[in-house]
Amino acid sequence: MNKKIARTTVLVMAALLALAAGVHFGQRGLGGPWLAPAAKDASALLAVALPDIEGREQALGQWKGKVVVVNFWATWCAPCREEMPEFVRVQAELGGKGLQFVGIAVDQADKVQPFAREIGVNYPVLIGGYGAMELSKAFGNKLMALPFTLIINRQGEVAHTQLGPLKETQLRAIVGQLL
Amino acid sequence: MRGAAAAPPEILEAERAFALSAQGLDPQTLSVRFEIADGYYLYRDKLNFSVSPGNLAAPIAPPGKIKEDQFFGKVETYRGRLQMELTLDAPRPGSAVTLVVESQGCADVGVCYPVQRQTLAVPLPRPGERPAPLVEAAPRRKSWFN
Repeated sequence: MNKKIARTTVLVMAALLALAAGVHFGQRGLGGPWLAPAAKDASALLAVALPDIEGREQALGQWKGKVVVVNFWATWCAPCREEMPEFVRVQAELGGKGLQFVGIAVDQADKVQPFAREIGVNYPVLIGGYGAMELSKAFGNKLMALPFTLIINRQGEVAHTQLGPLKETQLRAIVGQLL
Repeated sequence: MRGAAAAPPEILEAERAFALSAQGLDPQTLSVRFEIADGYYLYRDKLNFSVSPGNLAAPIAPPGKIKEDQFFGKVETYRGRLQMELTLDAPRPGSAVTLVVESQGCADVGVCYPVQRQTLAVPLPRPGERPAPLVEAAPRRKSWFN
């Protein structure tokens, strides 16, 4: 257990260090003033591996080439929970076209599992713990609040960052252009 | 900032949304205050206080406003000003205690902050003295990307 946490921490730290070590930071066009200039290149994020709710380690890189929606969330965050059924719907509908949602929970596995089952999550939910909050910060979530969502295009670039709920119409519009 | 079609409302840092201060009222009593910005709220059941040295005599937060949450059921929340007194288990005249406050809240626009853990060094007056100066919470620790 502790070994797994230590390993996860090391992986997240490695990704953060890679990012800090010189990946260029570009201004994102979307979002408000609370979004810091974030890395345009998502490769540091795609280099991260975290355990899923079954405890299997999942590398985000396995979805490179798809349009990846990375959603940072937590069970203690009501607006996060509220928007997830929408993600389940969109995943079911557009997964075949190359859309891949990935949830990263700033939370503990025993809290995430029941909720993920309850809403029938049909995409990987990874357990990031508090380290995931630092990871999201590196991609513009300077307030370290949730939900925070990144949309990564097929080239592995951050196409959109969103602090706060992502409305379904907005999500479909952005994703529709990238698929 | 460019790009946004309609400027959404600004979202505050947690420390500004939930501005914390404390004051030693007498050798055994602290006053703790949150000034909660409009459009933000704190959860009562996520509030936690501790001091060192010593302990607090059963800190009880005042009742909040009941909010029916679709996920969490009936929850109590605070808006505006939250002020409460904390009693130490023993008087500590003329010394200072380290107060640790944990809180968690959200903004109505649909974002939530993780638990904030803030530490304040709160001086206590001697018997008969005026209350000690107000102490405001220190800014959040610097992280790797600040």
